Amino acid sequence: MIGTVIQISLRRLVHSRAELVLTFVVPIAFFSVFALIFGNGIGSGTMPKVKVVAVDLAATPASGQMITSLRTNEGLRFMASENPDQPLTTRQATRMIRQGVVTIGIIVKQSDGHPMTAELLADASDQVAGQVVAAMVSREMAIGNAKQAAQQQRVVRRPPVESVAPIDPLANTVPIIDVMGKDKTNPVVSMYAAGIAVMFLLFGATGGGGALLEERENTTLDRLLSTQLTMDQLLLGKWFYLSGLGFVQVCVMFLWGQLIFGVDLWGHLDGFVMMTVVTSGAAAAFGLFLATLCKTRGQLNGLSVILVLTMSALGGSMVPRYLMSAKMRELGLWTFNAWALDGYDKVFWRDLPVETLWPQLAVLMGAGVAFLLVARALAIRWEFD
Amino acid sequence: MIQADVPALEITELRKTYGSLEALRGVDFQLHQGERLAFLGPNGAGKTTLIRCLAGRTRPTHGKINVFGLPIESPGVRNALGLVPQDLALYSDLTTRENLTVFARFHGVPRRNLKERVQWALQWTGLTDRAGELVGGFSGGMKRRVNLACGVMHRPQVILLDEPTVGVDPQSRERLFTMLDDLNRQGASILLTTHHLDEAQQRSDRIVILDQGQVIADGTIDQLVNRTVGPSRLVKVRVDRPLTAPVWISGHTGPQHLRQVGAAGQDRFETRIDDVTTDISRLLDAIRNSGYLVSDMEVQAPSLHHVFLHLTGHELRD
Repeated sequence: MIGTVIQISLRRLVHSRAELVLTFVVPIAFFSVFALIFGNGIGSGTMPKVKVVAVDLAATPASGQMITSLRTNEGLRFMASENPDQPLTTRQATRMIRQGVVTIGIIVKQSDGHPMTAELLADASDQVAGQVVAAMVSREMAIGNAKQAAQQQRVVRRPPVESVAPIDPLANTVPIIDVMGKDKTNPVVSMYAAGIAVMFLLFGATGGGGALLEERENTTLDRLLSTQLTMDQLLLGKWFYLSGLGFVQVCVMFLWGQLIFGVDLWGHLDGFVMMTVVTSGAAAAFGLFLATLCKTRGQLNGLSVILVLTMSALGGSMVPRYLMSAKMRELGLWTFNAWALDGYDKVFWRDLPVETLWPQLAVLMGAGVAFLLVARALAIRWEFD
Repeated sequence: MIQADVPALEITELRKTYGSLEALRGVDFQLHQGERLAFLGPNGAGKTTLIRCLAGRTRPTHGKINVFGLPIESPGVRNALGLVPQDLALYSDLTTRENLTVFARFHGVPRRNLKERVQWALQWTGLTDRAGELVGGFSGGMKRRVNLACGVMHRPQVILLDEPTVGVDPQSRERLFTMLDDLNRQGASILLTTHHLDEAQQRSDRIVILDQGQVIADGTIDQLVNRTVGPSRLVKVRVDRPLTAPVWISGHTGPQHLRQVGAAGQDRFETRIDDVTTDISRLLDAIRNSGYLVSDMEVQAPSLHHVFLHLTGHELRD
């Protein structure tokens, strides 16, 4: 029975060229446009708070003062380290960046008799944060070094004019070291592939769920339910079909990403498959939930466009979440785009082991099961008058 | 096991209410094995509700439905029924063969018999050469044939047809009934709801009329005619000029039963006769003896149309 439901859906898809184009070509076109724009580093937005940690390798009063001053900066959010009692090390900071806990690690150094220097360890997926934090650190470092120089002058009591060393314009430059994507062929594009893929998964699932309403409107559903087919089988058949189609859709998308934009799909196949299976399943359940919630196909179309676009915008499918304020980012966690993208981010960008995907997998699976159960409950009204 | 003396369908005291609306108010009737039963009623009489109860699409509030002696709720019993809905409940973006295949599978046709059943259905519907075409592009009559075939892919012993000929031309209707006659000859019992009274009269063995959720008549066409409008024929006459006075006709029992027909100033009139052989000549003689010539005459036998209107009235039921 379930196989037959899948067969119907597949055959109907094959007969509908418009649906085929919408399923496979339009997402790729959108992805390509987004990848071309954002992959080239164009398109930054307003400056939200950047999550940072500071590693004070200098451990001087001046470096401490500089870090304290940075802590008061409204554009930065200092995150607590794993062990707040111990001074943070460069290694710990690098790990925190790789895990996505912070975006930037500020490393402050000072050799004997030399001015302070700083470098930034950065997650290059946030193309804005590094530049902004570099400017802030550079400014604070210049102030700190100037104060230090003035103090030294007072100690040796030399006439100020002759003793001040010429200002080196490069002295306060803060180098940015990418700890994430330096070995990757085209690291940022995988994020956009995931973002666009999840958005179109949702569109595809809500469109597919609409077939149920179409069947109801033309009384085919009535006829189907007068055969040996049950509502459970019908919904499960449609869910399997939509999940399978979504999975293939995302695979095609990433294959395209690998071929054209150099996304490393084969190197992350296990994590990709786990995330894609769960995300496709959740999106399919969401589509069926919306379909059973609505009374007509028109109602579904309107609602799904609004919901999917809103979820995609909030969840990071359209604009990277690091460009959003902390409040918006928190709001984004109510969308499963955000959870799915966080999962893909861990797989493709942070190279984290698949065990670390459990929160994303659990949330998406939970959402999928919940949507499916609610859809089943809503469909009771169609079973009998 | 099917017993010969058990009705194919037995409906007892069936009631269905939607809130305060009583759609069925204690319906009782039987459909015998191999019988073709026409189920008539004005709009809103409860026909579709009854079909939905039979197809398991709505739960009766009260009453019993037995299929070949077994309660319809018993496992597997509903497989004996085949529903052909009023609407074209097909996948218009699947081909004829694909539609037939999926509905056969939903009806539980075993995989090994699938090909043979689909082939049979294609031949039966006369659509073998259109098997690979999308149903959406078919004419209304062709879609109706596919709609019918999809409901009988599992060889049901009872076929429920809810207005199967809506919106099709006379040729297609004829074809659909020929297809149904085929199934009937193979032993299937047929319950047909329709608004085409001539169809019901010609294509059924028995007629049940439902009105306001109740069965108001049940029998063969002759039985219904005798019970309602009676067997007399209606005679319509037109004479060569307007009558100056009514025409007097003697009754069949003799001149003591004289009656008058027509009215002064009119050249047309109607009357009823019980015996065509004797009463017609008596009527013609009376007209001629009154000095008129018959320009035209029509004799109408009582039909289901007259019975239906007699029982359900002339008021609209929209």
